[in-house]
Amino acid sequence: MLISGTVPIKDLPLTMGEVRFEGEFLVVNDIKIPCTQGTAALISATVATTDYLKIDPPKVLLVGDNGEGMGSRLLYEYLIKNISDLLPDVLVLHYCLPIMDLMRRLLESVERCSKRPIMIADASSMYAAKAAGLASKFDIFTPDATEIAFLADPDATHPAYINRHLFDTDVTRTPELVDAAYQLKSAAKLLLVKGEIDYVVEEGEIIDTVSEPNIPELEAIGGTGDTITGLVAAFAYAELELHEAAIIAARANRMAGKLARATPGTKVWQIISQFPAVFKEYLCEWSGVCYVESNRSMSLT
Amino acid sequence: MLFEKVEEAIKAEKVLKGADYVVKLVAPPPTLRKGCDLAVEINLVEQMGIERLFRQKDVAYLEVVPLKGGGELLEIVKITNFKEATMVKAGNMKVTFDRDTGIILNASGGGCPDIPYLHAQLIDKKLTDAPRPKEIGFTLCALMMDRAFEECLLLWRKGGG
Repeated sequence: MLISGTVPIKDLPLTMGEVRFEGEFLVVNDIKIPCTQGTAALISATVATTDYLKIDPPKVLLVGDNGEGMGSRLLYEYLIKNISDLLPDVLVLHYCLPIMDLMRRLLESVERCSKRPIMIADASSMYAAKAAGLASKFDIFTPDATEIAFLADPDATHPAYINRHLFDTDVTRTPELVDAAYQLKSAAKLLLVKGEIDYVVEEGEIIDTVSEPNIPELEAIGGTGDTITGLVAAFAYAELELHEAAIIAARANRMAGKLARATPGTKVWQIISQFPAVFKEYLCEWSGVCYVESNRSMSLT
Repeated sequence: MLFEKVEEAIKAEKVLKGADYVVKLVAPPPTLRKGCDLAVEINLVEQMGIERLFRQKDVAYLEVVPLKGGGELLEIVKITNFKEATMVKAGNMKVTFDRDTGIILNASGGGCPDIPYLHAQLIDKKLTDAPRPKEIGFTLCALMMDRAFEECLLLWRKGGG
């Protein structure tokens, strides 16, 4: 699995390597990266999951970018040039400046790969994919309530410019927005729409919802949307069916919030550190994955 | 970006290229034409950093208009009260502060590369002491976070939200 994205360390050059999660930090090639909102939170959630499942950790491709975009461009160009050699089973595209032309070129490179990876996009990589008309080339998007409105808006190229009536919609209208997004071909094959109710949608059909435990404080905590994407990616890499990966991810994130006794001031690494306890207690019940052997083989009961 | 005069558009392009922005001079679509026959095409998400650069370099422009859609930035906010904290949401950007102390507890949402940076700059600071996202961010996500931040400040000054 390869996870690519930017981190808020402006001078960090393009860096590829394996990662480990140490408390409040991610460590990549001996570089410590604070586990805060964004790509670092996503990676940390993935690593917590792959560690628990005893499968290979993800490789990460990171670069520093504080919003000026230079790092993002380096990231796109590297992937465009090298993705057919890297050939990951799962490719996760996360925080970066959304640049439609570079996203188009990246997808062209992916199409040339001898084996197509499972394609997951969140954050502005999802914005770029939608704005470039390439959403349906992806396997999984994980939008929040505003971002599903963005996917459902035929004209918006960024959530800041969505139509006001779409922003005003409440959670009960999510199914309508999901339908509109699929009509516009602005959705990936599978959507996990995060919110008060999490919706798991496959090819336009809502196949499940997750609403318990209800922890409203999670919405305030920077990075808890990123952790869901990290969980989905890890379970997809563990070869669960994608809809199953999404359902377990939604449940695990909520349960970790409950175990952490989340408040609006909780930090995301405190949520992530609960994942092993959540998996130990619930993964067997939720998925049938009850006994884990080393490296990509799991026993089902 | 639309301009009153051709020379302003040319100056804008030069300033932007000098700051490593990827932009080009284009003819504005007739429906959007408000000034001269020349516009600068930018990546809309970079709007905020570009506008700040123009203020610093004294570049005049008329307006930023998306090629698609109504062109109005989402201005409305939604407010959620927790037990001791208030969360303000603008677009998909959220800022949460402690109603007793005015300390920023969390910032979340969006997906642009400056948001994790802004998160680190804002957390655990008092609203009145923290830097404004519009002063240190570069993207539309940062602009929306600033909108949420501004509302938090208003609520705090009114008595804690």
